[in-house]
Amino acid sequence: MLEVIKPGLETSIQDWPGRQGYLKCGFPWSGPMDHWSFRLANVLVGNAPGAAGLECQFIGPTLRFQRDGVFALTGADMQAKLDGVPVPAWESIAAKAGQTLEMTFAKVGARAYLAIAGGFDNEVFFGSRATFHKGGLGGMQGHAIKAGQVLPVAAGQGVAGRRVKPSARPVFVTDKRWQVEVCAGPNDDWIDEAGQQRFLSTAWKLSSKSDRGGFRLEGPEWTFTERAYNKPPEHGSDPANIVDHGYPLGAINLAGQTPIILVNDWPDGGGFINPYTVPTCAFWKLGQSKPGETYQFVQLSVEDAQAEARRITALCAESSIE
Amino acid sequence: MAHEVELQTAGNMWKVLVKPGDAVKAGDTLFIMEVMKMEVPHEAPADGVVAAVNISEGEEGLDAGFVAVVID
Repeated sequence: MLEVIKPGLETSIQDWPGRQGYLKCGFPWSGPMDHWSFRLANVLVGNAPGAAGLECQFIGPTLRFQRDGVFALTGADMQAKLDGVPVPAWESIAAKAGQTLEMTFAKVGARAYLAIAGGFDNEVFFGSRATFHKGGLGGMQGHAIKAGQVLPVAAGQGVAGRRVKPSARPVFVTDKRWQVEVCAGPNDDWIDEAGQQRFLSTAWKLSSKSDRGGFRLEGPEWTFTERAYNKPPEHGSDPANIVDHGYPLGAINLAGQTPIILVNDWPDGGGFINPYTVPTCAFWKLGQSKPGETYQFVQLSVEDAQAEARRITALCAESSIE
Repeated sequence: MAHEVELQTAGNMWKVLVKPGDAVKAGDTLFIMEVMKMEVPHEAPADGVVAAVNISEGEEGLDAGFVAVVID
Protein backbone atom coordinates (compact mmCIF):
# COMPACT_ATOMS: atom_id res chain seq x y z
CA MET A 1 0.00 0.00 0.00
CA LEU A 2 2.99 2.29 -0.30
CA GLU A 3 3.46 3.35 -3.89
CA VAL A 4 7.02 4.09 -4.99
CA ILE A 5 7.19 7.45 -6.79
CA LYS A 6 11.01 7.75 -6.66
CA PRO A 7 13.04 4.80 -5.37
CA GLY A 8 15.99 6.69 -3.84
CA LEU A 9 19.40 5.06 -3.93
CA GLU A 10 19.04 1.27 -3.81
CA THR A 11 16.38 1.51 -1.10
CA SER A 12 15.57 -1.99 0.08
CA ILE A 13 13.28 -3.93 2.37
CA GLN A 14 15.20 -5.46 5.27
CA ASP A 15 14.29 -7.31 8.43
CA TRP A 16 16.30 -8.18 11.51
CA PRO A 17 18.22 -10.36 12.22
CA GLY A 18 17.79 -11.25 8.57
CA ARG A 19 18.20 -14.53 6.73
CA GLN A 20 20.04 -16.54 9.35
CA GLY A 21 20.78 -20.24 9.06
CA TYR A 22 21.54 -20.47 5.33
CA LEU A 23 25.23 -19.64 5.07
CA LYS A 24 25.65 -23.20 3.80
CA CYS A 25 23.51 -22.19 0.79
CA GLY A 26 25.60 -19.06 0.27
CA PHE A 27 22.99 -16.68 1.70
CA PRO A 28 24.38 -14.03 4.03
CA TRP A 29 22.16 -12.60 6.76
CA SER A 30 21.53 -9.28 4.99
CA GLY A 31 19.26 -7.09 7.16
CA PRO A 32 19.66 -3.45 8.20
CA MET A 33 23.22 -2.20 8.74
CA ASP A 34 22.23 0.10 11.61
CA HIS A 35 20.00 -2.37 13.42
CA TRP A 36 19.78 -0.10 16.46
CA SER A 37 17.94 2.66 14.55
CA PHE A 38 16.00 0.08 12.55
CA ARG A 39 14.58 -1.68 15.59
CA LEU A 40 13.60 1.58 17.26
CA ALA A 41 11.61 2.56 14.15
CA ASN A 42 9.61 -0.64 14.49
CA VAL A 43 9.08 -0.19 18.22
CA LEU A 44 7.68 3.30 17.56
CA VAL A 45 4.92 1.95 15.32
CA GLY A 46 4.08 -1.02 17.53
CA ASN A 47 5.77 -3.69 15.43
CA ALA A 48 8.09 -6.44 16.61
CA PRO A 49 11.60 -4.87 16.62
CA GLY A 50 12.74 -7.03 13.72
CA ALA A 51 9.71 -6.55 11.42
CA ALA A 52 10.40 -5.72 7.77
CA GLY A 53 11.11 -2.03 7.10
CA LEU A 54 12.91 0.09 4.51
CA GLU A 55 16.61 0.82 4.52
CA CYS A 56 17.22 4.12 2.69
CA GLN A 57 20.84 4.92 1.81
CA PHE A 58 22.29 8.36 1.05
CA ILE A 59 19.24 9.47 -0.96
CA GLY A 60 15.80 8.51 0.33
CA PRO A 61 12.70 7.57 -1.67
CA THR A 62 9.44 9.37 -2.37
CA LEU A 63 6.43 7.25 -1.42
CA ARG A 64 2.67 7.71 -1.60
CA PHE A 65 0.32 6.21 0.97
CA GLN A 66 -2.55 4.33 -0.67
CA ARG A 67 -4.31 3.97 2.69
CA ASP A 68 -4.03 5.55 6.12
CA GLY A 69 -1.05 4.35 8.10
CA VAL A 70 1.31 5.16 10.97
CA PHE A 71 5.01 5.30 10.13
CA ALA A 72 8.28 6.30 11.78
CA LEU A 73 11.68 7.39 10.50
CA THR A 74 14.93 6.83 12.39
CA GLY A 75 18.63 6.87 11.59
CA ALA A 76 20.05 9.41 9.15
CA ASP A 77 18.26 12.74 8.74
CA MET A 78 16.95 12.75 5.15
CA GLN A 79 14.89 15.92 5.61
CA ALA A 80 11.59 14.09 5.18
CA LYS A 81 8.41 15.94 4.30
CA LEU A 82 4.83 14.72 4.29
CA ASP A 83 2.90 16.63 1.63
CA GLY A 84 5.60 19.29 1.80
CA VAL A 85 5.53 19.69 5.59
CA PRO A 86 8.70 18.65 7.45
CA VAL A 87 8.20 15.62 9.70
CA PRO A 88 10.39 14.77 12.69
CA ALA A 89 12.44 11.60 12.94
CA TRP A 90 12.37 9.30 15.98
CA GLU A 91 8.61 9.82 16.27
CA SER A 92 5.54 7.93 15.01
CA ILE A 93 3.44 9.88 12.52
CA ALA A 94 -0.02 9.31 11.06
CA ALA A 95 -0.36 9.58 7.28
CA LYS A 96 -3.62 9.74 5.36
CA ALA A 97 -4.36 7.90 2.14
CA GLY A 98 -3.05 9.98 -0.77
CA GLN A 99 -0.32 11.73 1.18
CA THR A 100 3.24 11.72 -0.15
CA LEU A 101 6.37 11.20 1.94
CA GLU A 102 9.41 12.73 0.31
CA MET A 103 12.96 12.15 1.51
CA THR A 104 16.13 13.72 0.09
CA PHE A 105 19.82 13.35 0.85
CA ALA A 106 21.24 12.21 4.18
CA LYS A 107 22.38 15.27 6.09
CA VAL A 108 23.70 13.57 9.21
CA GLY A 109 24.39 9.83 8.97
CA ALA A 110 24.02 7.73 5.82
CA ARG A 111 21.06 5.38 6.30
CA ALA A 112 17.50 6.17 7.33
CA TYR A 113 14.94 3.56 8.32
CA LEU A 114 11.23 3.65 7.66
CA ALA A 115 8.94 1.38 9.64
CA ILE A 116 5.21 1.24 9.09
CA ALA A 117 2.59 -0.18 11.46
CA GLY A 118 1.99 -3.78 10.42
CA GLY A 119 5.35 -4.07 8.69
CA PHE A 120 6.07 -4.75 5.03
CA ASP A 121 4.43 -7.92 3.85
CA ASN A 122 6.57 -8.94 0.90
CA GLU A 123 7.20 -12.64 0.35
CA VAL A 124 9.21 -14.52 2.96
CA PHE A 125 12.16 -16.26 1.30
CA PHE A 126 14.13 -18.79 3.35
CA GLY A 127 12.82 -17.38 6.58
CA SER A 128 13.26 -13.66 5.91
CA ARG A 129 11.91 -10.71 3.94
CA ALA A 130 15.36 -9.09 3.74
CA THR A 131 16.77 -8.11 0.35
CA PHE A 132 20.06 -9.70 -0.75
CA HIS A 133 20.80 -7.58 -3.82
CA LYS A 134 23.74 -9.53 -5.20
CA GLY A 135 21.89 -12.82 -4.93
CA GLY A 136 18.72 -11.31 -6.41
CA LEU A 137 16.57 -12.71 -3.62
CA GLY A 138 14.26 -11.49 -0.87
CA GLY A 139 12.76 -8.00 -0.83
CA MET A 140 10.79 -6.93 -3.90
CA GLN A 141 11.54 -9.57 -6.55
CA GLY A 142 15.06 -9.86 -5.21
CA HIS A 143 16.04 -6.25 -5.67
CA ALA A 144 15.91 -2.67 -4.44
CA ILE A 145 12.51 -1.00 -4.75
CA LYS A 146 11.61 0.50 -8.13
CA ALA A 147 9.41 3.40 -9.24
CA GLY A 148 5.83 2.27 -9.86
CA GLN A 149 5.92 -0.65 -7.45
CA VAL A 150 3.41 -0.91 -4.64
CA LEU A 151 5.03 -2.17 -1.45
CA PRO A 152 2.66 -4.47 0.44
CA VAL A 153 2.02 -3.66 4.09
CA ALA A 154 0.30 -5.94 6.62
CA ALA A 155 -2.57 -4.61 8.73
CA GLY A 156 -1.35 -2.95 11.91
CA GLN A 157 -2.43 -0.62 14.66
CA GLY A 158 0.01 2.20 15.19
CA VAL A 159 -0.25 5.17 17.50
CA ALA A 160 1.02 8.58 16.38
CA GLY A 161 3.03 10.93 18.59
CA ARG A 162 5.23 8.33 20.29
CA ARG A 163 8.87 9.40 20.55
CA VAL A 164 12.15 7.67 21.27
CA LYS A 165 13.77 9.11 24.39
CA PRO A 166 16.95 10.98 23.36
CA SER A 167 18.97 8.83 25.77
CA ALA A 168 17.96 5.69 23.84
CA ARG A 169 19.08 6.90 20.40
CA PRO A 170 22.46 6.32 18.77
CA VAL A 171 24.46 9.54 18.39
CA PHE A 172 26.04 10.01 14.97
CA VAL A 173 29.32 11.86 14.62
CA THR A 174 29.33 15.11 12.67
CA ASP A 175 33.11 15.51 12.32
CA LYS A 176 33.55 12.49 9.99
CA ARG A 177 35.63 10.61 12.58
CA TRP A 178 34.21 7.45 14.11
CA GLN A 179 35.54 5.32 16.94
CA VAL A 180 34.65 1.73 16.09
CA GLU A 181 34.98 -1.26 18.38
CA VAL A 182 36.96 -4.31 17.26
CA CYS A 183 37.76 -7.67 18.78
CA ALA A 184 41.11 -9.32 18.07
CA GLY A 185 41.08 -12.38 15.89
CA PRO A 186 40.55 -14.89 14.53
CA ASN A 187 43.96 -14.40 12.81
CA ASP A 188 45.57 -11.60 14.84
CA ASP A 189 48.60 -13.83 15.44
CA TRP A 190 49.52 -13.42 11.74
CA ILE A 191 50.15 -9.69 12.30
CA ASP A 192 53.31 -8.61 14.08
CA GLU A 193 53.40 -6.30 17.10
CA ALA A 194 54.19 -3.22 14.97
CA GLY A 195 51.36 -4.11 12.59
CA GLN A 196 48.88 -4.48 15.43
CA GLN A 197 49.87 -1.13 16.93
CA ARG A 198 49.68 0.48 13.48
CA PHE A 199 46.17 -0.92 12.96
CA LEU A 200 44.91 0.46 16.27
CA SER A 201 46.58 3.88 15.92
CA THR A 202 45.51 4.66 12.34
CA ALA A 203 42.45 6.62 11.25
CA TRP A 204 41.36 4.28 8.42
CA LYS A 205 39.50 5.95 5.58
CA LEU A 206 36.32 4.36 4.28
CA SER A 207 36.72 3.91 0.52
CA SER A 208 33.96 4.65 -1.94
CA LYS A 209 34.67 1.17 -3.35
CA SER A 210 32.45 -0.29 -0.66
CA ASP A 211 28.95 -1.72 -0.59
CA ARG A 212 26.65 -3.88 1.54
CA GLY A 213 29.07 -6.79 1.06
CA GLY A 214 32.27 -5.13 2.18
CA PHE A 215 33.64 -1.82 3.46
CA ARG A 216 37.07 -1.23 1.96
CA LEU A 217 39.55 0.72 4.10
CA GLU A 218 42.49 2.88 3.03
CA GLY A 219 45.53 3.19 5.25
CA PRO A 220 49.10 2.04 5.82
CA GLU A 221 50.72 -1.25 4.84
CA TRP A 222 50.46 -4.31 7.06
CA THR A 223 53.36 -6.29 8.47
CA PHE A 224 53.26 -9.93 9.44
CA THR A 225 54.65 -12.52 11.81
CA GLU A 226 56.81 -15.42 10.77
CA ARG A 227 53.86 -17.76 10.30
CA ALA A 228 52.54 -15.62 7.41
CA TYR A 229 55.70 -16.43 5.45
CA ASN A 230 56.77 -19.80 6.75
CA LYS A 231 53.68 -21.89 6.02
CA PRO A 232 52.70 -24.98 4.01
CA PRO A 233 52.11 -24.27 0.29
CA GLU A 234 48.35 -24.96 0.48
CA HIS A 235 48.01 -21.66 2.36
CA GLY A 236 48.93 -19.73 -0.77
CA SER A 237 51.78 -17.41 -1.68
CA ASP A 238 50.74 -14.01 -0.29
CA PRO A 239 51.47 -13.34 3.40
CA ALA A 240 47.74 -12.68 3.88
CA ASN A 241 46.74 -15.99 2.28
CA ILE A 242 45.51 -18.85 4.44
CA VAL A 243 43.98 -22.18 3.54
CA ASP A 244 40.30 -21.47 2.77
CA HIS A 245 38.24 -20.91 5.92
CA GLY A 246 34.97 -19.37 7.02
CA TYR A 247 34.67 -15.58 7.35
CA PRO A 248 32.68 -14.29 10.33
CA LEU A 249 30.33 -11.33 9.91
CA GLY A 250 32.30 -8.19 10.71
CA ALA A 251 35.67 -9.75 9.90
CA ILE A 252 38.34 -7.30 8.84
CA ASN A 253 39.43 -9.38 5.89
CA LEU A 254 42.94 -8.64 4.67
CA ALA A 255 42.91 -8.97 0.87
CA GLY A 256 46.66 -8.76 0.29
CA GLN A 257 47.30 -5.30 1.79
CA THR A 258 43.68 -4.04 1.64
CA PRO A 259 41.51 -4.50 4.73
CA ILE A 260 37.81 -4.96 3.96
CA ILE A 261 35.21 -5.11 6.72
CA LEU A 262 32.77 -7.87 5.76
CA VAL A 263 29.30 -6.45 6.37
CA ASN A 264 25.71 -7.64 6.04
CA ASP A 265 25.82 -9.19 2.54
CA TRP A 266 29.26 -10.69 3.12
CA PRO A 267 31.03 -13.57 1.36
CA ASP A 268 31.19 -16.30 4.01
CA GLY A 269 34.52 -17.87 3.16
CA GLY A 270 37.79 -17.60 1.28
CA GLY A 271 41.54 -17.64 1.54
CA PHE A 272 42.54 -14.40 3.25
CA ILE A 273 43.23 -13.90 6.94
CA ASN A 274 40.89 -11.94 9.25
CA PRO A 275 43.11 -10.29 11.88
CA TYR A 276 40.25 -8.43 13.60
CA THR A 277 36.46 -8.51 13.74
CA VAL A 278 33.99 -5.64 14.15
CA PRO A 279 31.34 -6.91 16.58
CA THR A 280 27.67 -6.43 15.70
CA CYS A 281 27.31 -3.87 18.51
CA ALA A 282 29.38 -1.47 16.36
CA PHE A 283 27.56 -2.08 13.07
CA TRP A 284 25.34 0.95 13.51
CA LYS A 285 28.44 3.10 13.15
CA LEU A 286 29.38 1.38 9.90
CA GLY A 287 25.85 1.85 8.61
CA GLN A 288 25.86 5.56 9.37
CA SER A 289 29.27 6.46 7.96
CA LYS A 290 29.97 7.87 4.52
CA PRO A 291 32.89 7.28 2.15
CA GLY A 292 35.80 9.51 3.06
CA GLU A 293 35.02 9.35 6.78
CA THR A 294 37.50 7.64 9.08
CA TYR A 295 37.46 4.81 11.59
CA GLN A 296 39.70 4.72 14.63
CA PHE A 297 39.47 1.20 15.98
CA VAL A 298 39.23 0.54 19.69
CA GLN A 299 39.93 -2.98 20.85
CA LEU A 300 37.65 -4.63 23.39
CA SER A 301 37.01 -8.14 24.62
CA VAL A 302 34.36 -10.42 23.16
CA GLU A 303 32.58 -10.30 26.53
CA ASP A 304 32.46 -6.49 26.50
CA ALA A 305 31.22 -6.51 22.89
CA GLN A 306 28.46 -8.94 23.84
CA ALA A 307 27.50 -6.77 26.82
CA GLU A 308 27.25 -3.73 24.55
CA ALA A 309 25.07 -5.68 22.09
CA ARG A 310 22.76 -6.64 24.97
CA ARG A 311 22.63 -3.02 26.12
CA ILE A 312 21.55 -1.90 22.63
CA THR A 313 18.97 -4.67 22.35
CA ALA A 314 17.53 -3.64 25.73
CA LEU A 315 17.17 -0.09 24.40
CA CYS A 316 15.20 -1.30 21.36
CA ALA A 317 12.09 -1.77 23.48
CA GLU A 318 8.94 -0.08 24.73
CA SER A 319 10.83 1.32 27.74
CA SER A 320 12.65 3.69 25.36
CA ILE A 321 9.42 5.34 24.19
CA GLU A 322 8.02 8.54 25.70
CA MET B 1 16.72 32.80 -13.63
CA ALA B 2 19.75 30.84 -12.52
CA HIS B 3 19.27 27.25 -11.39
CA GLU B 4 21.73 25.78 -8.91
CA VAL B 5 22.27 22.04 -9.10
CA GLU B 6 23.34 20.72 -5.71
CA LEU B 7 24.98 17.37 -4.98
CA GLN B 8 22.27 14.96 -3.88
CA THR B 9 24.64 12.79 -1.91
CA ALA B 10 28.09 12.65 -0.39
CA GLY B 11 30.51 10.77 -2.63
CA ASN B 12 32.96 11.03 -5.51
CA MET B 13 32.67 12.75 -8.88
CA TRP B 14 32.77 10.05 -11.52
CA LYS B 15 31.91 11.85 -14.76
CA VAL B 16 31.32 15.49 -15.64
CA LEU B 17 29.43 15.76 -18.91
CA VAL B 18 29.10 19.54 -19.34
CA LYS B 19 31.36 22.60 -19.43
CA PRO B 20 30.59 26.32 -19.10
CA GLY B 21 28.83 27.63 -22.18
CA ASP B 22 27.10 24.35 -23.06
CA ALA B 23 23.39 24.58 -23.88
CA VAL B 24 21.38 21.99 -21.94
CA LYS B 25 17.76 20.89 -21.90
CA ALA B 26 15.76 19.96 -18.83
CA GLY B 27 16.46 16.32 -18.04
CA ASP B 28 19.93 16.22 -19.63
CA THR B 29 22.49 14.49 -17.44
CA LEU B 30 25.05 17.04 -16.20
CA PHE B 31 27.33 14.81 -14.15
CA ILE B 32 27.36 11.41 -12.47
CA MET B 33 28.46 10.86 -8.89
CA GLU B 34 29.60 7.58 -7.46
CA VAL B 35 28.85 6.51 -3.92
CA MET B 36 29.35 3.02 -2.52
CA LYS B 37 29.54 1.50 -6.05
CA MET B 38 26.27 3.17 -7.04
CA GLU B 39 25.95 5.75 -9.84
CA VAL B 40 23.97 8.89 -9.09
CA PRO B 41 23.22 10.92 -12.22
CA HIS B 42 22.28 14.57 -11.73
CA GLU B 43 20.03 16.14 -14.36
CA ALA B 44 19.40 19.70 -15.54
CA PRO B 45 16.29 21.10 -13.80
CA ALA B 46 15.54 23.43 -16.74
CA ASP B 47 16.62 24.45 -20.22
CA GLY B 48 19.51 26.92 -20.27
CA VAL B 49 23.22 27.52 -20.62
CA VAL B 50 25.79 26.18 -18.19
CA ALA B 51 27.18 29.21 -16.35
CA ALA B 52 29.47 27.46 -13.87
CA VAL B 53 30.89 24.00 -13.18
CA ASN B 54 32.32 23.84 -9.67
CA ILE B 55 33.37 20.18 -9.66
CA SER B 56 35.80 18.05 -11.64
CA GLU B 57 36.12 14.37 -12.45
CA GLY B 58 37.92 12.32 -9.85
CA GLU B 59 37.12 14.58 -6.88
CA GLU B 60 36.61 12.54 -3.73
CA GLY B 61 34.85 13.08 -0.44
CA LEU B 62 32.33 15.63 -1.71
CA ASP B 63 29.46 16.62 0.58
CA ALA B 64 25.77 16.65 -0.26
CA GLY B 65 24.30 20.11 -0.79
CA PHE B 66 27.38 21.55 -2.55
CA VAL B 67 26.40 23.67 -5.60
CA ALA B 68 28.07 21.74 -8.43
CA VAL B 69 26.64 23.35 -11.57
CA VAL B 70 24.83 26.62 -12.23
CA ILE B 71 22.52 26.96 -15.23
CA ASP B 72 21.38 30.35 -16.51
